[in-house]
Amino acid sequence: MIKQLAVLVSLCVSAWMPMRVAYADDSIKVFAAASLTNVISQIAKQYEQENTANQTEIRTSFAASSALAKQIEKGAPADIFISADTQWMQYLQNKKLIQANTQVNLLGNQLVLIAPTGKRFKVNMEKGFDIAAAFSGKLCTGDPASVPVGIYAKQSLTALTWWSSLEPKLVGTQDVRSALVLVERGECDAGIVYETDANISDKVEIVAKFPESSHEPIVYPLGLVVGASSNAVGFYRYLSSPQAHAVFTKYGFTVLAK
Amino acid sequence: MLELVKFTPAELTILLLSLKVAIFCVLVISIPAIATAWLLARKSFYGKSLLDSLVHLPMVLPPVVPGFILLVLLGRQGWIGKYLYEYFGISLAFTWVGAVVASAVMAFPLLVRAARQGIAQVDRQLEIAAQTLGAHPLRVFFTITLPLALPGIITGLILAFSRSLGEFGATITFVGNIEGETRTLPLAIYTYTQVPDGDIPALRLVILSLLLALGALMLSEKLERKANRHIEHQDD
Repeated sequence: MIKQLAVLVSLCVSAWMPMRVAYADDSIKVFAAASLTNVISQIAKQYEQENTANQTEIRTSFAASSALAKQIEKGAPADIFISADTQWMQYLQNKKLIQANTQVNLLGNQLVLIAPTGKRFKVNMEKGFDIAAAFSGKLCTGDPASVPVGIYAKQSLTALTWWSSLEPKLVGTQDVRSALVLVERGECDAGIVYETDANISDKVEIVAKFPESSHEPIVYPLGLVVGASSNAVGFYRYLSSPQAHAVFTKYGFTVLAK
Repeated sequence: MLELVKFTPAELTILLLSLKVAIFCVLVISIPAIATAWLLARKSFYGKSLLDSLVHLPMVLPPVVPGFILLVLLGRQGWIGKYLYEYFGISLAFTWVGAVVASAVMAFPLLVRAARQGIAQVDRQLEIAAQTLGAHPLRVFFTITLPLALPGIITGLILAFSRSLGEFGATITFVGNIEGETRTLPLAIYTYTQVPDGDIPALRLVILSLLLALGALMLSEKLERKANRHIEHQDD
């Protein structure tokens, strides 16, 4: 009887220990748009290497900005949020979840039309061009209802009067990287992603760039989430530093903030 | 509260798609699964345990694994899919047919297991007796084995149907999450939870799923009892 009790107690204690660590950990949690996966991972690693003295640890979570905003709204432990459009940052601002005066418009990007490598097709980026006939199969991009790249895509397609003919061919994915992967695999014969995503992959090629005037300016706002740990401020500032800017530029992002 | 039962046309489409995929899934696997079950229950042959293990694999693997394997085999650039696309123009991604394939792979072991148990507990003496009286093996199967194994088979069919309704990992990995084509109930619930203001529609679909599952279980219970009664009263 004592033996069983002892086993039970030690099981409970060992289950409780990791939970204690989870609540006590002071890693910096960064929730960033999926298109920032590679660049933020690199900047985070750089920051960790430059700050080995304090043993700073950065934990990242990349997903569609809409999904991240939803998670933060539901109480996910984020310290820093970087969205791919101002809409989802504004959404959290309205819910009073972003610290006052911490929003910074950090980056810009370019919207491009891509195809699997070797399967490019001819296209004129003008109204009236029969885009639906230019390629067979599906066009992959983020869900136009909520994912930023999908929202920008819909704006551009509407501006070019291509939306109604392309809508039946559209596949809306949960984030921009899923759309990229589908084009890489050839399941989609065309896709709309950011230029920075197309550059990462050698299995897709850029067919055309969407004119900046055809969609709302692509802006990646950065903000500190309410309740962020104090050491998160260090990384938040680092994202606006020349070292971080250099990495952003290397990946093809436009740096907006000074 | 009332909005929890007001289903939008989009949600009814999701329900009908789920039912369509599940029904076709069961239709597609029923004959192969019952045949496999009979093989495993009645015959011994070289490689039997390998077959047994292969059949059970989808049941023990995380569903994304069979989904990924399907992608490697049947995706547009897949080993088999490449030829399907080049010569027949068949592409399964983003189609409800692909969703049926994903469900079929995941539901197959469930039907085989249940059918096998049903067939195994049929008294072999009855089958042998029928054969000594001159019945062809197929006739023995359809007149003796199958009717007596029916409760187990019915359980298996309903299990397979429910598994297909609940299939998520393999479906989303293999055919994606396309509204109207592959967005079955579980995928739809997931999609709604990823979007701000999606909680109420998600809850509606969750309630729907619960009702469907409950209905399936009660039906399975009723059919099993009926089949068992029928067997017991054979001599009356």
